[in-house]
Order: sequence, then C-alpha cells, then structure tokens
Amino acid sequence: MKSKSYSLFLKDFHSELRTRYAINSLAMFIIVAISVIMFAVGQEKVSEGLTGGLFWVVIFFTAMSGLSRAFVSEEERGTALTLQLLSAPSTVFSGKLIFNIILVFCMNTVIALLYSALFETFIIRNFALFFISFVLGNFGLAISSTIIAAIIAKAGAKGTLYPVLSFPILLPLILTSVQLTLFALDGTSIEQAKYELAIVVSYDVIMLTVSYMLFDFIWKD
Amino acid sequence: MLKISWKIFLFLLLAFVSIAGIAFPIVENPHAWYEFPLIPGLEENAKIIFFHVPTAWLTVVAFLVSTVYSFKYLRTKNLDDDAKAYSSTQLGMVFCILATVTGAVWAKFAWGSFWSWDPRQTSIFALLLIYGALFALRSSIESEDKRATLSAVYSLIAFVTVPFFIFIMPRIMKGLHPGSADDTNAGPVVNFKMNGSMQLIFFLSLIGFTILYFWMWRLSYKTIIYRDKLDKKLIRG
Amino acid sequence: MESFLSNNAIYIVMIIVLIVWAGIFFYLFSLDKRIKNVEKELKEGVKNEK
Repeated sequence: MKSKSYSLFLKDFHSELRTRYAINSLAMFIIVAISVIMFAVGQEKVSEGLTGGLFWVVIFFTAMSGLSRAFVSEEERGTALTLQLLSAPSTVFSGKLIFNIILVFCMNTVIALLYSALFETFIIRNFALFFISFVLGNFGLAISSTIIAAIIAKAGAKGTLYPVLSFPILLPLILTSVQLTLFALDGTSIEQAKYELAIVVSYDVIMLTVSYMLFDFIWKD
Repeated sequence: MLKISWKIFLFLLLAFVSIAGIAFPIVENPHAWYEFPLIPGLEENAKIIFFHVPTAWLTVVAFLVSTVYSFKYLRTKNLDDDAKAYSSTQLGMVFCILATVTGAVWAKFAWGSFWSWDPRQTSIFALLLIYGALFALRSSIESEDKRATLSAVYSLIAFVTVPFFIFIMPRIMKGLHPGSADDTNAGPVVNFKMNGSMQLIFFLSLIGFTILYFWMWRLSYKTIIYRDKLDKKLIRG
Repeated sequence: MESFLSNNAIYIVMIIVLIVWAGIFFYLFSLDKRIKNVEKELKEGVKNEK
C-alpha cells in the first residue's frame, strides 16, 4: 500500500512538473503577498512580534491559494472516478497528503527565506526551536488543508469556501505556531516552549487520525 | 397530564432561578439561606454566572449532540439523523451568539470595553467561525445526501477543535476572563468560592437550561422531519 | 410600591426577566401544540393509506 500512495504522489508530482502550476502561480502569489505587505507597511518600522504574525498570514493565504488543487483538479479534470476505482481511499489520501506536505514545505521555506531577507526584525535567534515548530506546523497545515480540500472538492463550491472552512479548523494551529515563531525570534529556549509544542504535536496527531477515518466517507460518492 | 406538567415545571424552575439569581443579595458574610457570598474580583457582577455560563454550556452541549448525530448519520445514512444534527447545530449557533453577546455586555462593565481579544473571547469567536462555516458549506450543496454527508464529516472535524477552544486555550493563556492563567481568585479549575446556596442555584440553572435546550431541539428537528415527510408525500401524490 | 421599585432597580430587572421568560415559554407551548397537530394529521394520513 505504501508504494501505491507513493506512485499516486509521483503522478501528481509529474503532472506538476509538466504544467509547473504550483511553481509559477504559488511563487508569484508569495511574491505578491509579501510585496503588498511591504508596500502597506511603507516606512514604518515593523516590530518583531508583528513580523512573526505577518509571517503566518502569508503562509495561511498561500496555503489557501495552492493546496485545494490536490482534489479540485481531479474533480475538474473528471479523473476523480478513475481514482476511486483504482485504489483504496486511504491510499488516495496518503498520496495527496504527501504531495501537499512537500508543497507546504517548499512554499514555507521560500516564505521564511524571503522574510529573513526583507524584514530586518525577522531574526531567528533560536534556530532549533524555529525548525521544530516549522516542521510540526507545516505537517498540521498540510493535513488540515488536505482534508478540507477533499470536502470542498465534493461540495463543488471551491474558491471562496476553502478559506472559510479551513481558517477556523487551522486556528488552534496558527495561534500556537505564531506564539512559537515569536519564541524562536525572541530566543526562548525549547524548555519554555514545551506547552505550545505539545499542543502542536497533539493537533497534528489528532487531525491525522480524524482525517484518515473520515476520508472514506467523503471520497465514496 | 405528566407530559404537560414537565414543561410547566421547567418554567417554574427557570423562573425560580431567575428570581433567586437576580434578587438574592450579595453580602460579606452570608448567614441566611438566601444570601450569596462576596467573591473578590466579581462582586456584584457575580450573578451573571447563573445566566451567562449556562449559555456557554449549552453551546458545547448543542454542538456535542450535533456531532453525535452527525456520527450516527454517517453510519445509518438516515436523513432523520441529519435533521437532528442540523437543528442542534442551529441551536448551538444561537447559544454561541448569546454567550458572546452576554459576555461582551458584561465585559463592557467589568473590563472597560466590549471586546478585548481576551483568550476566551477569541475562542468563542473561533467557534462562531467554525460553525458559521458549516452553514456556508450546507447552503452550497444541492443534493440532500451529499449535503448531509459532507456536513457530518465537517462537524466531526470541527468538534475536535472544540475541547481545545473551550477548555484548554482559555485556561493556559493569560487573560481577563475568570479562570485564565493569571487569575488569582478563581484558578483554572472551576472553583468559584461559591457558597452552598449559590452552587445550588447555579446547578439548578444549568439543569433548567439543559432541559430547555432538549425541548427546543425536539421541536426543531420534528419540524424539519415532518416538513420533509409532507414534501415527499406531496411529490409522490 | 413605585418608590421601593425605583430605589431597588434590581427588582425591575427581575420582573423584566420573568416577563421575557413568560413570553418565550408562551411561544414554545404554542409551537409544541402546533407540532402535535401536524403529528396527528400525519398519523391519520398513514392510517388512511393503510
């Protein structure tokens, strides 16, 4: 079963390389979003706390822009039924999830690099903490976004409904991750941040379990 | 006779709770059975506990019931279960709004402004967003079965976040609301230094409101189910 | 009585709250009765079909 999800992921990866959709439009979206923020801020000095928060604003909206494609594109291209016949629901979900995880990691690395370069107050003092919260947060973001993408793909509402459904579900993750990012910028030790880290870990685990259990019901028509 | 009288009993119960909750005096050293103690930090405003906390409690109860029936629907595929889940979600939304508004009015007099993004205010707002999104989802799907399935799935995912929002987040974060991390009076666990008669009125209030909720929920889902049955009867002729 | 009430405004609040409850319960009772009637009609309908 593992190799089946991997081949599903490869199929998405190859079609992605062919169209280069994510690379083009998501990269452009990131650049545009950050530019808007920079223009809006103007000459004002952006405090450390504010850059930490804005970091996650851009992450969230980029995710909303790019992650629903995993399922919506299948519905649009009419290949959803084929996929249903080919493999078990959990395999499909795993394949899409792997694709989204990799996408999220690439996106957020770019965003983090751009932020470090463009905002002088975005200095990561505790890199280990930043890395751990980065990894955990990205997993959580990918998992929740994928399951919600599956829901709206079946609903046929796509566009506007996706952020509306995702934001409240992601809120515990975003609130805690913003706090962790601020800790990493401040230089707080991992010891002091263990409460928040525990919350993100439990969010990831719970969301992953719930998503796998519920995906069956969404996927079958 | 018994069927009618439980509703009248409910009215009398809630009337008693309202009278007791509002009119009983708050004194330094309560002696009589009808006197409430003075809680530092809350003082006169303490009476809100009989009305504001039950609305928040009902929000959780209503969303829990809706999640249970969502789960049931996924197993039985019986649209009646979806009707029950949906009417409970509606009631949950009503009580969520009531809890937010009563809280905001109280906040104006206790903390100075209607909204201060206190953790508990933020978390109730997050609940409004989550279940508001559920209604948006429902209205975007035409097919009955698909609508029921997808909203059931979303309800289950949404409910996973509810314990975090209602029980965990406001207790570990610093804030103004009683019970937050830096509250010296109340502490994170529900321990409000109420005396016996105050606790009694408080629990009576919770019980009364809960029975009220179940009555309203029954009326609501019956309406939906009978409307459905009649529509289908008319179509079949 | 008016002077007592205007000094202890809390009792005015209490009376208002009781009036609101009475209104809510009146509405709920009437709703309950109407639904009971619909239920009866549906049962008659099913009996007639059988």
